[in-house]
Amino acid sequence: MAKILIVDDSRTSRKILRGLLEESGHEVIGEAENGFEGVEKFKELNPEITTLDITMPVMDGLEALSKIKECNKDAKVIMITAAGQQNKMVEAIKNGASEFVTKPFERDNILKIIEKI
Amino acid sequence: MISRLFGAYLLKEGMLTEAQLSTVYETMQKVRVKLGLIAVSEKLMTTQQSDEVNRLQAIVDKRFGDISIEKGYLTEEQVSRLLGLQGNQYLSFVQSIVDNDFMDMDSIEKALSGYQNECGFTLTDMEALKSGDSDRIIPLFLPQNVIGYQLEHILICIRSVIRLIDSDIYVDKGCFTDFLDVENFALQSLEGDNKATLCIAGEGKNILTLAEPFAGDEFDVVDEDSLDAVAEFVNCVNGLYATKMNSEFMIDMLPPEYSASGCKFNGKLLVLPVYIKGVKVNIISTFGEFIGK
Repeated sequence: MAKILIVDDSRTSRKILRGLLEESGHEVIGEAENGFEGVEKFKELNPEITTLDITMPVMDGLEALSKIKECNKDAKVIMITAAGQQNKMVEAIKNGASEFVTKPFERDNILKIIEKI
Repeated sequence: MISRLFGAYLLKEGMLTEAQLSTVYETMQKVRVKLGLIAVSEKLMTTQQSDEVNRLQAIVDKRFGDISIEKGYLTEEQVSRLLGLQGNQYLSFVQSIVDNDFMDMDSIEKALSGYQNECGFTLTDMEALKSGDSDRIIPLFLPQNVIGYQLEHILICIRSVIRLIDSDIYVDKGCFTDFLDVENFALQSLEGDNKATLCIAGEGKNILTLAEPFAGDEFDVVDEDSLDAVAEFVNCVNGLYATKMNSEFMIDMLPPEYSASGCKFNGKLLVLPVYIKGVKVNIISTFGEFIGK
Protein backbone atom coordinates (compact mmCIF):
# COMPACT_ATOMS: atom_id res chain seq x y z
CA MET A 1 0.00 0.00 0.00
CA ALA A 2 1.38 3.40 -0.95
CA LYS A 3 1.94 6.64 0.97
CA ILE A 4 0.32 9.31 -1.17
CA LEU A 5 0.35 13.13 -1.33
CA ILE A 6 -2.71 14.76 -2.99
CA VAL A 7 -2.20 18.16 -4.63
CA ASP A 8 -5.42 19.71 -5.96
CA ASP A 9 -7.02 23.14 -5.54
CA SER A 10 -10.49 21.58 -5.34
CA ARG A 11 -11.43 20.39 -1.88
CA THR A 12 -14.19 18.26 -3.47
CA SER A 13 -11.63 16.45 -5.61
CA ARG A 14 -9.25 16.02 -2.67
CA LYS A 15 -12.04 14.58 -0.54
CA ILE A 16 -13.28 12.15 -3.21
CA LEU A 17 -9.74 11.03 -4.05
CA ARG A 18 -8.77 10.61 -0.38
CA GLY A 19 -11.91 8.51 0.18
CA LEU A 20 -11.16 6.24 -2.81
CA LEU A 21 -7.53 5.75 -1.80
CA GLU A 22 -8.14 5.17 1.90
CA GLU A 23 -10.97 2.74 1.20
CA SER A 24 -8.47 0.68 -0.76
CA GLY A 25 -5.90 0.66 2.01
CA HIS A 26 -3.56 3.39 0.78
CA GLU A 27 -2.35 6.06 3.18
CA VAL A 28 -2.88 9.72 2.30
CA ILE A 29 -0.02 11.40 4.16
CA GLY A 30 -0.77 14.95 3.10
CA GLU A 31 -2.80 17.36 1.00
CA ALA A 32 -1.91 20.63 -0.69
CA GLU A 33 -4.14 23.11 -2.52
CA ASN A 34 -1.71 24.55 -5.06
CA GLY A 35 1.53 23.60 -6.78
CA PHE A 36 3.76 25.73 -4.56
CA GLU A 37 2.37 24.19 -1.39
CA GLY A 38 2.54 20.76 -3.07
CA VAL A 39 6.28 21.05 -3.74
CA GLU A 40 6.88 22.10 -0.11
CA LYS A 41 4.83 19.14 1.17
CA PHE A 42 6.67 16.81 -1.20
CA LYS A 43 10.02 17.88 0.28
CA GLU A 44 8.67 17.55 3.81
CA LEU A 45 6.77 14.24 3.51
CA ASN A 46 8.70 12.34 0.83
CA PRO A 47 5.58 10.49 -0.50
CA GLU A 48 5.82 7.33 -2.59
CA ILE A 49 3.24 8.71 -5.03
CA THR A 50 2.10 12.30 -5.64
CA THR A 51 -1.14 13.16 -7.46
CA LEU A 52 -0.95 16.58 -9.14
CA ASP A 53 -3.88 18.49 -10.56
CA ILE A 54 -2.85 20.43 -13.66
CA THR A 55 -5.01 23.55 -13.39
CA MET A 56 -4.28 25.24 -10.07
CA PRO A 57 -3.73 28.80 -8.86
CA VAL A 58 -0.36 30.13 -7.58
CA MET A 59 1.64 27.34 -9.31
CA ASP A 60 0.10 24.94 -11.82
CA GLY A 61 0.68 21.20 -11.94
CA LEU A 62 3.20 21.31 -14.80
CA GLU A 63 5.52 23.71 -12.96
CA ALA A 64 5.11 21.75 -9.73
CA LEU A 65 6.00 18.54 -11.62
CA SER A 66 9.26 20.10 -12.83
CA LYS A 67 10.18 21.23 -9.32
CA ILE A 68 9.35 17.84 -7.83
CA LYS A 69 11.48 16.14 -10.49
CA GLU A 70 14.34 18.55 -9.67
CA CYS A 71 14.15 17.35 -6.04
CA ASN A 72 13.88 13.67 -6.97
CA LYS A 73 14.12 12.55 -10.59
CA ASP A 74 12.58 9.17 -9.66
CA ALA A 75 9.50 10.68 -7.98
CA LYS A 76 6.27 8.94 -9.05
CA VAL A 77 3.71 11.54 -10.09
CA ILE A 78 0.17 10.99 -11.41
CA MET A 79 -1.24 14.02 -13.22
CA ILE A 80 -4.94 14.73 -12.72
CA THR A 81 -7.18 16.97 -14.78
CA ALA A 82 -10.58 17.41 -16.37
CA ALA A 83 -10.87 16.25 -19.97
CA GLY A 84 -9.74 18.68 -22.65
CA GLN A 85 -6.14 19.22 -21.58
CA GLN A 86 -4.50 16.61 -23.82
CA ASN A 87 -1.65 18.92 -24.86
CA LYS A 88 -0.74 19.50 -21.22
CA MET A 89 -0.97 15.79 -20.48
CA VAL A 90 1.51 15.09 -23.27
CA GLU A 91 3.82 17.79 -21.90
CA ALA A 92 3.56 16.31 -18.41
CA ILE A 93 4.41 12.80 -19.62
CA LYS A 94 7.40 14.22 -21.52
CA ASN A 95 8.50 15.93 -18.30
CA GLY A 96 8.45 12.70 -16.35
CA ALA A 97 4.88 12.17 -15.08
CA SER A 98 4.24 8.46 -14.60
CA GLU A 99 0.55 8.43 -15.54
CA PHE A 100 -2.52 10.64 -15.85
CA VAL A 101 -6.11 10.43 -14.65
CA THR A 102 -9.15 12.28 -16.03
CA LYS A 103 -11.85 13.76 -13.77
CA PRO A 104 -14.48 12.93 -12.67
CA PHE A 105 -12.69 10.11 -10.86
CA GLU A 106 -13.32 6.50 -11.80
CA ARG A 107 -12.39 4.31 -8.86
CA ASP A 108 -11.15 1.20 -10.69
CA ASN A 109 -9.07 3.25 -13.11
CA ILE A 110 -7.26 5.15 -10.34
CA LEU A 111 -6.53 2.02 -8.33
CA LYS A 112 -5.26 0.21 -11.42
CA ILE A 113 -2.88 3.08 -12.19
CA ILE A 114 -1.56 3.18 -8.64
CA GLU A 115 -0.94 -0.56 -8.72
CA LYS A 116 0.81 -0.17 -12.06
CA ILE A 117 3.35 2.45 -10.97
CA MET B 1 -38.52 18.09 -20.06
CA ILE B 2 -41.89 18.37 -21.87
CA SER B 3 -43.65 16.61 -19.00
CA ARG B 4 -42.46 19.27 -16.51
CA LEU B 5 -43.21 22.22 -18.82
CA PHE B 6 -46.61 20.98 -20.00
CA GLY B 7 -47.40 19.79 -16.48
CA ALA B 8 -46.80 23.30 -15.12
CA TYR B 9 -49.13 24.66 -17.84
CA LEU B 10 -51.90 22.18 -16.95
CA LEU B 11 -51.54 23.17 -13.30
CA LYS B 12 -51.65 26.89 -14.09
CA GLU B 13 -54.77 26.44 -16.24
CA GLY B 14 -56.48 24.42 -13.50
CA MET B 15 -56.71 21.28 -15.65
CA LEU B 16 -54.76 19.25 -13.09
CA THR B 17 -54.36 19.77 -9.34
CA GLU B 18 -50.96 19.63 -7.66
CA ALA B 19 -51.85 16.27 -6.12
CA GLN B 20 -52.91 14.87 -9.50
CA LEU B 21 -49.73 16.12 -11.16
CA SER B 22 -47.62 14.49 -8.44
CA THR B 23 -49.43 11.22 -9.03
CA VAL B 24 -48.80 11.50 -12.77
CA TYR B 25 -45.05 12.06 -12.25
CA GLU B 26 -44.90 9.23 -9.74
CA THR B 27 -46.58 6.81 -12.14
CA MET B 28 -44.23 7.92 -14.93
CA GLN B 29 -41.17 7.16 -12.80
CA LYS B 30 -42.20 3.53 -12.66
CA VAL B 31 -42.11 3.16 -16.41
CA ARG B 32 -38.95 5.19 -17.14
CA VAL B 33 -36.21 2.67 -17.71
CA LYS B 34 -32.55 3.25 -18.58
CA LEU B 35 -31.29 2.07 -21.95
CA GLY B 36 -28.53 -0.03 -20.33
CA LEU B 37 -31.04 -1.88 -18.22
CA ILE B 38 -33.20 -2.66 -21.25
CA ALA B 39 -30.13 -3.80 -23.21
CA VAL B 40 -29.19 -6.17 -20.40
CA SER B 41 -32.71 -7.52 -19.96
CA GLU B 42 -32.90 -8.08 -23.72
CA LYS B 43 -29.63 -10.02 -23.40
CA LEU B 44 -27.91 -7.78 -25.93
CA MET B 45 -25.27 -6.63 -23.41
CA THR B 46 -23.77 -8.03 -20.23
CA THR B 47 -24.08 -6.13 -16.95
CA GLN B 48 -20.31 -5.51 -17.07
CA GLN B 49 -20.56 -3.96 -20.54
CA SER B 50 -23.47 -1.78 -19.45
CA ASP B 51 -21.54 -0.65 -16.33
CA GLU B 52 -18.50 0.10 -18.45
CA VAL B 53 -20.54 2.32 -20.79
CA ASN B 54 -22.14 4.08 -17.80
CA ARG B 55 -18.66 4.82 -16.41
CA LEU B 56 -17.45 6.10 -19.77
CA GLN B 57 -20.41 8.48 -19.91
CA ALA B 58 -18.94 10.35 -16.93
CA ILE B 59 -15.87 11.33 -18.93
CA VAL B 60 -17.08 11.31 -22.53
CA ASP B 61 -19.85 13.57 -23.79
CA LYS B 62 -21.76 10.87 -25.63
CA ARG B 63 -25.02 9.02 -25.23
CA PHE B 64 -25.24 5.45 -23.95
CA GLY B 65 -26.28 4.14 -27.37
CA ASP B 66 -23.48 5.95 -29.22
CA ILE B 67 -20.77 4.59 -26.91
CA SER B 68 -22.22 1.07 -27.09
CA ILE B 69 -22.10 1.18 -30.90
CA GLU B 70 -18.49 2.45 -30.84
CA LYS B 71 -17.47 -0.33 -28.47
CA GLY B 72 -19.14 -2.88 -30.74
CA TYR B 73 -21.62 -3.96 -28.06
CA LEU B 74 -24.71 -2.89 -30.03
CA THR B 75 -25.57 -2.15 -33.65
CA GLU B 76 -27.41 1.00 -34.74
CA GLU B 77 -30.50 -1.09 -35.42
CA GLN B 78 -30.42 -2.56 -31.93
CA VAL B 79 -30.07 0.92 -30.35
CA SER B 80 -33.07 2.15 -32.36
CA ARG B 81 -35.10 -0.82 -31.18
CA LEU B 82 -34.06 -0.31 -27.54
CA LEU B 83 -34.95 3.38 -27.72
CA GLY B 84 -38.36 2.36 -28.95
CA LEU B 85 -38.73 0.04 -25.99
CA GLN B 86 -37.54 2.72 -23.60
CA GLY B 87 -40.58 4.82 -24.38
CA ASN B 88 -41.00 8.46 -25.09
CA GLN B 89 -41.32 10.77 -22.08
CA TYR B 90 -44.19 12.78 -23.53
CA LEU B 91 -46.15 9.62 -24.30
CA SER B 92 -45.44 8.24 -20.81
CA PHE B 93 -46.74 11.52 -19.37
CA VAL B 94 -49.92 11.42 -21.45
CA GLN B 95 -50.41 7.72 -20.74
CA SER B 96 -50.07 8.38 -17.05
CA ILE B 97 -52.69 11.19 -17.11
CA VAL B 98 -55.13 9.00 -19.03
CA ASP B 99 -54.46 5.87 -16.94
CA ASN B 100 -55.23 7.86 -13.80
CA ASP B 101 -58.48 9.19 -15.37
CA PHE B 102 -57.46 12.79 -14.78
CA MET B 103 -58.04 13.89 -18.41
CA ASP B 104 -58.97 12.23 -21.68
CA MET B 105 -56.87 12.34 -24.86
CA ASP B 106 -59.00 15.01 -26.56
CA SER B 107 -58.67 17.38 -23.61
CA ILE B 108 -54.92 16.78 -23.48
CA GLU B 109 -54.57 17.55 -27.20
CA LYS B 110 -56.57 20.78 -26.77
CA ALA B 111 -54.44 21.77 -23.79
CA LEU B 112 -51.29 21.07 -25.75
CA SER B 113 -52.46 23.44 -28.50
CA GLY B 114 -53.07 26.07 -25.82
CA TYR B 115 -49.56 25.56 -24.46
CA GLN B 116 -48.13 25.79 -27.99
CA ASN B 117 -49.96 29.09 -28.63
CA GLU B 118 -48.98 30.57 -25.28
CA CYS B 119 -45.29 29.81 -25.87
CA GLY B 120 -45.35 30.75 -29.56
CA PHE B 121 -43.96 27.36 -30.61
CA THR B 122 -44.30 26.06 -34.18
CA LEU B 123 -45.34 22.49 -34.99
CA THR B 124 -41.68 21.66 -35.60
CA ASP B 125 -40.81 23.11 -32.18
CA MET B 126 -43.49 20.93 -30.61
CA GLU B 127 -42.08 17.85 -32.32
CA ALA B 128 -38.66 18.72 -30.89
CA LEU B 129 -40.17 19.14 -27.42
CA LYS B 130 -41.96 15.82 -27.62
CA SER B 131 -38.78 14.07 -28.81
CA GLY B 132 -37.18 14.46 -25.37
CA ASP B 133 -33.82 15.22 -27.06
CA SER B 134 -32.19 18.05 -25.10
CA ASP B 135 -30.08 19.04 -28.12
CA ARG B 136 -33.30 19.83 -30.00
CA ILE B 137 -35.20 21.27 -27.05
CA ILE B 138 -32.69 23.71 -25.53
CA PRO B 139 -32.32 25.91 -28.68
CA LEU B 140 -36.09 26.60 -28.46
CA PHE B 141 -35.45 28.36 -25.17
CA LEU B 142 -32.42 30.38 -26.28
CA PRO B 143 -32.26 33.64 -28.27
CA GLN B 144 -31.98 32.84 -31.99
CA ASN B 145 -28.47 34.32 -32.23
CA VAL B 146 -27.06 31.69 -29.86
CA ILE B 147 -25.32 29.46 -32.36
CA GLY B 148 -22.01 27.72 -33.02
CA TYR B 149 -19.54 27.35 -30.17
CA GLN B 150 -21.68 29.09 -27.54
CA LEU B 151 -24.65 26.85 -28.33
CA GLU B 152 -22.40 23.77 -28.15
CA HIS B 153 -21.01 24.95 -24.79
CA ILE B 154 -24.54 25.30 -23.36
CA LEU B 155 -25.65 21.94 -24.81
CA ILE B 156 -22.66 20.14 -23.26
CA CYS B 157 -23.50 21.75 -19.91
CA ILE B 158 -27.15 20.64 -20.13
CA ARG B 159 -26.20 17.12 -21.21
CA SER B 160 -23.80 16.92 -18.24
CA VAL B 161 -26.52 18.08 -15.84
CA ILE B 162 -28.87 15.42 -17.23
CA ARG B 163 -26.19 12.71 -17.09
CA LEU B 164 -24.54 13.49 -13.76
CA ILE B 165 -27.10 15.44 -11.70
CA ASP B 166 -30.77 15.06 -12.66
CA SER B 167 -32.33 13.40 -15.71
CA ASP B 168 -35.60 15.29 -15.22
CA ILE B 169 -34.58 18.95 -15.54
CA TYR B 170 -36.49 21.67 -17.38
CA VAL B 171 -35.66 25.19 -18.47
CA ASP B 172 -37.19 28.66 -18.87
CA LYS B 173 -36.60 31.09 -21.73
CA GLY B 174 -33.01 32.30 -21.74
CA CYS B 175 -31.93 35.84 -22.62
CA PHE B 176 -28.91 38.10 -23.06
CA THR B 177 -28.16 40.81 -20.54
CA ASP B 178 -25.23 43.21 -20.07
CA PHE B 179 -25.38 43.20 -16.30
CA LEU B 180 -26.27 40.65 -13.65
CA ASP B 181 -26.22 40.68 -9.87
CA VAL B 182 -25.57 37.16 -8.59
CA GLU B 183 -25.65 35.85 -5.03
CA ASN B 184 -23.78 32.51 -5.04
CA PHE B 185 -21.79 31.28 -8.02
CA ALA B 186 -19.00 29.10 -9.35
CA LEU B 187 -17.36 29.81 -12.69
CA GLN B 188 -14.44 28.95 -14.88
CA SER B 189 -12.99 30.99 -17.74
CA LEU B 190 -11.37 29.58 -20.84
CA GLU B 191 -8.47 31.42 -22.46
CA GLY B 192 -6.75 30.91 -25.79
CA ASP B 193 -8.09 31.37 -29.29
CA ASN B 194 -11.67 31.66 -28.08
CA LYS B 195 -12.36 33.29 -24.71
CA ALA B 196 -15.39 32.00 -22.84
CA THR B 197 -16.72 31.79 -19.30
CA LEU B 198 -19.22 29.31 -17.90
CA CYS B 199 -20.90 30.06 -14.59
CA ILE B 200 -23.58 28.44 -12.46
CA ALA B 201 -25.32 30.81 -10.06
CA GLY B 202 -28.21 30.56 -7.63
CA GLU B 203 -30.09 32.46 -4.95
CA GLY B 204 -30.25 31.34 -1.33
CA LYS B 205 -29.45 27.64 -1.06
CA ASN B 206 -30.56 26.81 -4.62
CA ILE B 207 -27.07 26.00 -5.85
CA LEU B 208 -26.95 23.03 -3.44
CA THR B 209 -29.35 21.22 -5.79
CA LEU B 210 -26.35 20.73 -8.08
CA ALA B 211 -23.57 20.57 -5.48
CA GLU B 212 -25.00 17.68 -3.45
CA PRO B 213 -25.50 15.07 -6.20
CA PHE B 214 -22.21 15.96 -7.85
CA ALA B 215 -20.14 15.71 -4.65
CA GLY B 216 -22.19 12.79 -3.30
CA ASP B 217 -22.41 14.73 -0.06
CA GLU B 218 -24.98 16.72 1.92
CA PHE B 219 -24.41 20.42 2.58
CA ASP B 220 -26.37 22.52 5.07
CA VAL B 221 -25.18 25.87 3.77
CA VAL B 222 -23.70 27.46 0.69
CA ASP B 223 -20.06 27.61 1.69
CA GLU B 224 -16.63 26.94 0.20
CA ASP B 225 -17.20 23.16 0.24
CA SER B 226 -20.47 23.23 -1.68
CA LEU B 227 -19.32 25.93 -4.13
CA ASP B 228 -16.13 23.99 -4.76
CA ALA B 229 -18.29 21.02 -5.83
CA VAL B 230 -20.18 23.26 -8.28
CA ALA B 231 -16.85 24.61 -9.55
CA GLU B 232 -15.65 21.03 -10.15
CA PHE B 233 -18.81 20.32 -12.12
CA VAL B 234 -18.16 23.44 -14.26
CA ASN B 235 -14.56 22.24 -14.67
CA CYS B 236 -15.76 18.87 -16.00
CA VAL B 237 -18.17 20.57 -18.44
CA ASN B 238 -15.41 22.84 -19.71
CA GLY B 239 -13.12 19.83 -20.07
CA LEU B 240 -15.65 18.11 -22.31
CA TYR B 241 -16.07 21.33 -24.32
CA ALA B 242 -12.30 21.76 -24.67
CA THR B 243 -11.92 18.13 -25.81
CA LYS B 244 -14.48 18.73 -28.54
CA MET B 245 -13.01 22.06 -29.65
CA ASN B 246 -9.29 21.32 -29.37
CA SER B 247 -9.16 20.13 -32.97
CA GLU B 248 -10.37 23.58 -34.06
CA PHE B 249 -8.59 25.94 -31.66
CA MET B 250 -6.44 26.07 -28.55
CA ILE B 251 -8.21 26.32 -25.22
CA ASP B 252 -6.54 26.90 -21.87
CA MET B 253 -8.65 26.33 -18.77
CA LEU B 254 -8.09 28.80 -15.91
CA PRO B 255 -8.58 27.71 -12.28
CA PRO B 256 -12.28 27.77 -11.28
CA GLU B 257 -13.52 30.58 -9.01
CA TYR B 258 -16.47 30.80 -6.63
CA SER B 259 -18.04 33.08 -4.07
CA ALA B 260 -20.97 33.14 -1.65
CA SER B 261 -20.76 36.88 -1.04
CA GLY B 262 -22.35 38.18 -4.23
CA CYS B 263 -20.90 39.62 -7.41
CA LYS B 264 -21.84 41.98 -10.23
CA PHE B 265 -21.16 40.54 -13.69
CA ASN B 266 -20.68 42.65 -16.82
CA GLY B 267 -20.38 41.47 -20.40
CA LYS B 268 -22.60 39.92 -23.04
CA LEU B 269 -24.15 37.47 -20.60
CA LEU B 270 -26.39 34.65 -21.80
CA VAL B 271 -28.59 33.54 -18.89
CA LEU B 272 -30.51 30.25 -19.05
CA PRO B 273 -32.68 29.37 -16.01
CA VAL B 274 -32.55 25.62 -15.33
CA TYR B 275 -34.70 23.75 -12.82
CA ILE B 276 -32.84 20.87 -11.17
CA LYS B 277 -35.10 18.76 -8.93
CA GLY B 278 -37.53 21.68 -9.28
CA VAL B 279 -35.02 24.22 -7.91
CA LYS B 280 -33.88 27.11 -10.08
CA VAL B 281 -30.25 27.87 -10.90
CA ASN B 282 -28.92 30.01 -13.75
CA ILE B 283 -26.41 28.80 -16.31
CA ILE B 284 -24.51 31.89 -17.45
CA SER B 285 -22.36 31.79 -20.56
CA THR B 286 -20.24 34.53 -22.08
CA PHE B 287 -18.08 34.46 -25.17
CA GLY B 288 -15.61 37.33 -25.12
CA GLU B 289 -14.91 39.79 -22.32
CA PHE B 290 -16.28 38.98 -18.92
CA ILE B 291 -15.92 41.09 -15.79
CA GLY B 292 -16.95 40.08 -12.28
CA LYS B 293 -16.73 42.58 -9.41
